[in-house]
Amino acid sequence: MKTRIFRGSFAAVTTLFSAMLLWAVLSLVFMPRWEEVVQSAFSEEMIYSIRLSLLTSLISVAIVMVLAVCIGYVLARFTFPGHHVLRTLVDLPMAFPELVLGLCLLLLFGHGILSQWLKGFGINIVFSQAAIVIAQVFTAAPYAIRVSYATFRGINPRYELVARSLGYCEFSAFWHVTLPLAKGGLFAAMVISFARCMGCFGTVLILAGGTRMFTETLPITLYLNISYGNLAMAMTSGIILIAISLGAILVFELLNREVML
Amino acid sequence: MKPLLRGENITIRLSDFHLDHVSLEVEEGDYCCILGETGAGKSVLLESFIGMYPRMKGKIFLKDREITHLPPEKRELGIVYQDYMLFPHLNVYDNIAFGLRKKNLSKETIKERVHAMSERLYISHLLDRDVQTLSGGEKQRTAISRALVTRPQVLLMDEAFSALDVTTREKMRGFIRDLVRELGTTVVHVTHDVDDVWALASKVIVMFDGKVLQSGPPREVFSRPLPGQVANFLGACNVFPATVAPSQEGELTSLLIGKGKASLLSADKASPGESVIVSVRPESITLAPHRLNISARNQVPGQILKTERRGPMVWVQAKTCMGNLKAILTESSLEALELAPGNEAFFIFKASCLKILSRKDQARQLIK
Repeated sequence: MKTRIFRGSFAAVTTLFSAMLLWAVLSLVFMPRWEEVVQSAFSEEMIYSIRLSLLTSLISVAIVMVLAVCIGYVLARFTFPGHHVLRTLVDLPMAFPELVLGLCLLLLFGHGILSQWLKGFGINIVFSQAAIVIAQVFTAAPYAIRVSYATFRGINPRYELVARSLGYCEFSAFWHVTLPLAKGGLFAAMVISFARCMGCFGTVLILAGGTRMFTETLPITLYLNISYGNLAMAMTSGIILIAISLGAILVFELLNREVML
Repeated sequence: MKPLLRGENITIRLSDFHLDHVSLEVEEGDYCCILGETGAGKSVLLESFIGMYPRMKGKIFLKDREITHLPPEKRELGIVYQDYMLFPHLNVYDNIAFGLRKKNLSKETIKERVHAMSERLYISHLLDRDVQTLSGGEKQRTAISRALVTRPQVLLMDEAFSALDVTTREKMRGFIRDLVRELGTTVVHVTHDVDDVWALASKVIVMFDGKVLQSGPPREVFSRPLPGQVANFLGACNVFPATVAPSQEGELTSLLIGKGKASLLSADKASPGESVIVSVRPESITLAPHRLNISARNQVPGQILKTERRGPMVWVQAKTCMGNLKAILTESSLEALELAPGNEAFFIFKASCLKILSRKDQARQLIK
């Protein structure tokens, strides 16, 4: 009897929450009229927004993956004083609200020594399209680093030692053995980063601003159109974002069940 | 003859384990087994040779060249692990060819050498196979091929047969013995299995708690294990303190053993009055229901306390004037002799089988 109550109550909570979640998602998909969605999807603003989101996300993912591979490997393989501090530091942005992270970046690139130095070269990051990439990189990198770290930790370092005993230097052993073995995990990191970059809102809004048809990524389109009362455009960008997230999660589940976050 | 591989005062401090000033020498053509319990530091020692612990203290020499601070790729040592460490993203051929590809050899030479080595190890029919589809024995042969094909100066094997089933392990022992003899390869093989030592080793090094306690040819180490941990680990169960008696019988040494002051003879030399530790291996003892008129000089009467079947053999434990004595018999011998607990019997062994393990100071340590 006790077992039944235990199992029943847990199953009920799971079912209730899953149903609410599904309902919320479906209400976005089924509420708008589809003619309006199609019309909005092909509007000039939406096409610009999709293009900019894809372009910035792809650039960001490339940068994030370089960071994730380097930092993940350092954390997984090297022992040094401050190892734990570094781990906490790179995880920190995950715990921050995006708006706070955006504010931190605004201060770094807009008011500090770094901004002065960049201005010396005629580079102004804040409220530019480059700021979108920087915001996306800082938002997505901690997730990718975590997956990459878990992946490298899961690979026995003795594979590298065997490769080195066979004549491969440290980098060659990494390139020919560790990296191919980490392929699945790193692909998962890439998918997660892409999803995070596409959906990055708060950080982009603060650092790049929400300028229509300039720094307008999909989440910004949603935000701006909600503000103007243009519900069809807002819902269309929402649907596109959901489709992208769903695709990313499906790919992640299919390719990388073994990576423990 | 100069040793091929030499370690001097190797000291490694890990968070939960210390390897403590270990020195050893392995000569060219040796099959050296490093024997010890789990956690003795055998694998850490082996991996120190390959370069796993760059912060280690001490020195490692290959021939006359110091290799302590060389990166693993410059050491000319090959390694085979218990869990094979075959690269799962490569097939059998690519695993074996992996090391050759770094040697600027032509494709034809690589192919030729991979095929030659795989034929020698009877895996030439598996070259296209995914390594994850191989059996344990096949994986181990692939790992050995991969290590040997680059012709390392020394092959290091870390518990290489431990993951195999009993039959495959037995086959692999015979197989590796023939192979290294044929190729003249020097091997350092870490194991906790005494059978590996008997089957393969020309030299054995016994380790406990990060220290080397004894080394030498297996026959020597097994017949004269150091009292205490080594003797216990090697199954030298009949270990007794003794005093060398003043009277000598020709070339033999008279010994007074145990509380009953049993007078026995040993072929080992010792001075009268010395305190020593002696041992007789259980398999060196023959049982008889009465005293026999044969050349064996030691015939100790005793009462059988218990018999215990272990596979095809029977362990017999008896109370004698030496103390409790253990002997091993076949089941058929036990039945033929009609021995059972409570029966009287004679425990018979040659003077050459009663070994003096250590003297005075070590004896005191053991008696404690």
